[in-house]
Amino acid sequence: MNNIYMPHLAEIKEVIDESPDTRTFRLKFKDADTAEKFDFKAGQFAEYSAFGDGESTFCIASSPTRKDFIECSFKVYGKVTQALHRLNKGDTIGIRGPYGNWFPLDELKGKNLLFIAGGIGIAPVRCVIDNVLDMRNDFKDLTIICGARSVSDLIYKQEIKEWKARTDIKTIITVDPGGENASWDGEVGFVPAVIEKTAPPSENTAVILCGPPVMIKFTMPVLTKLGFKDEDVYTTLENRMKCGLGKCGRCNIGNVYVCKDGPVFTYAQIKRLPQEF
Amino acid sequence: MDEKIISKDDLLKICQDIIGKGHTLLTPGMNEYFPVKDVSQINLDASALPAKTSYKSYVFPRSEPVLYYKRSKDDVQLIDINVDGKNIIILGAKPCDTNSISIMRHLFNWDYSDEFFNLREKHFIIIGLMCSHYDEYCFCTSVGSSPVSEKGSDIFLIPLDENNFALRIITEKGKEFIEPYSEYLKTGDESHSKQVTENVKLPEVAFDSKEVYEWLGNNFESPKWEGIGNLCLSCAQCAFVCPVCHCFDIVDEDYSYSEGRRMKNWDGCQFGNFTLHASGHNPRDIQSKRYRQRVNHKFRYYVDKFGEILCTGCGRCSRGCPVSIDIKEIVSNCKD
Repeated sequence: MNNIYMPHLAEIKEVIDESPDTRTFRLKFKDADTAEKFDFKAGQFAEYSAFGDGESTFCIASSPTRKDFIECSFKVYGKVTQALHRLNKGDTIGIRGPYGNWFPLDELKGKNLLFIAGGIGIAPVRCVIDNVLDMRNDFKDLTIICGARSVSDLIYKQEIKEWKARTDIKTIITVDPGGENASWDGEVGFVPAVIEKTAPPSENTAVILCGPPVMIKFTMPVLTKLGFKDEDVYTTLENRMKCGLGKCGRCNIGNVYVCKDGPVFTYAQIKRLPQEF
Repeated sequence: MDEKIISKDDLLKICQDIIGKGHTLLTPGMNEYFPVKDVSQINLDASALPAKTSYKSYVFPRSEPVLYYKRSKDDVQLIDINVDGKNIIILGAKPCDTNSISIMRHLFNWDYSDEFFNLREKHFIIIGLMCSHYDEYCFCTSVGSSPVSEKGSDIFLIPLDENNFALRIITEKGKEFIEPYSEYLKTGDESHSKQVTENVKLPEVAFDSKEVYEWLGNNFESPKWEGIGNLCLSCAQCAFVCPVCHCFDIVDEDYSYSEGRRMKNWDGCQFGNFTLHASGHNPRDIQSKRYRQRVNHKFRYYVDKFGEILCTGCGRCSRGCPVSIDIKEIVSNCKD
């Protein structure tokens, strides 16, 4: 029987402590055949199991172009993320997926890209950034604007260092006022204000935007002011999910199922939805 | 149409044979569809109200394991489930129930096929029975069905007199099922059964579902939702008695230190924590939003997705509601 609820088993190959409450797992499928066949696109998500505690939904944070492993990053919030946080290198988790739609990178070829991420929202954005960097010649100018509450809350420090070292991307990192420390050499300020100061011209530029709802709420008017069109701003919605398969009935916003019609939407699409998310 | 006549005694003989072969025969009682142990329990009464619950739980159980897991020190072993689709014959199903499986089939099969549902459903033989009685909660005629609708039945029965039924063979499955019993079937006359069905009193059409669909599309922010939300207790009994509500939860249950199972359990959109995020954010944080979701899902979203209303008009949700919320009334009055 084809059991759509059956996860693949994966071993935690590496645990990276990104911040006091956020971890990244580097995962390898136990079954060689699955490891070979597992294919996804930037923006898709999966259901991760901590057996005994249940499943939780997050994006795949590594790039589909890097095939040896997949990575996920999660912030400790609820029952399952707490259980995942208790696991160590060598332990086994379950993965179901990939599910949902993706960022349409093929359509965005030839454009400038502006990546904007806040907090844990950097996880889906990082997947796209790495994906784009592995096909760098297909895109024009790249700008990353990434914010966190404080220096210690900033995740992907290693990746950020690598992005900053490259001359073919402009990387701007900011922390909220009061979140800086003595050695901080980045920006200080909320993401929308930093965008206003540093964003590239909107001409031929698509935006990939992920972050907490409050950040998105204040970022959108700034982007509009700078001339970015709603159709060119891509973001993800994260609703509570159980199945990820369009059946369990809780992630819908109107007649749109985030797990199947999303998680990637343009801002123009989001504006048309009933405001219930 | 292939129409036959069968006497009640002969029908019961068939039932006896089915039970004798070890198949499950379900028939509606007052509260639920129950497995028949003795044919004397069978009450083919077209004038009975729908049982308090439908036979949904036989195709989509209230709680079922989707896998078993065993944890050892540094490994996990998963054990898959095999649903053994057993033949289940449902005798005397109301037209408002026979409809239900075909409505849910869309949901369990778009893109991803839920074999837990499919393998059970495949083995159902549904013998519908015309319905001759309705109460103030019934509204099948408002959602495109009727007390004489054959939709979803493999075989459909129409009582001709106290001892005889017209037996209509609707599907191939029904034909295959009844073939071994052809000795009990007499040739029927359609005009006879038509006379019966044409005389069935139909519940009045309470609303035009197309108008409701339009209204819902334009009135997401209507102040009416708040009024309804204030009445509702969030108990979700409406979802649990509904023949087509299908929302579920997936949870792990440990039954020892190292072993457990992953369960798929019925859930309901009226529960406050149904959409609650771990962060504390809840898109449907108040009851009015949850009730709005329920009505919209049934009369608009499902229509958008699958072209069918997610409701059979059985009226169970209203009949059982502890605070007398009547969905028929709400939907009929929404436009005013």
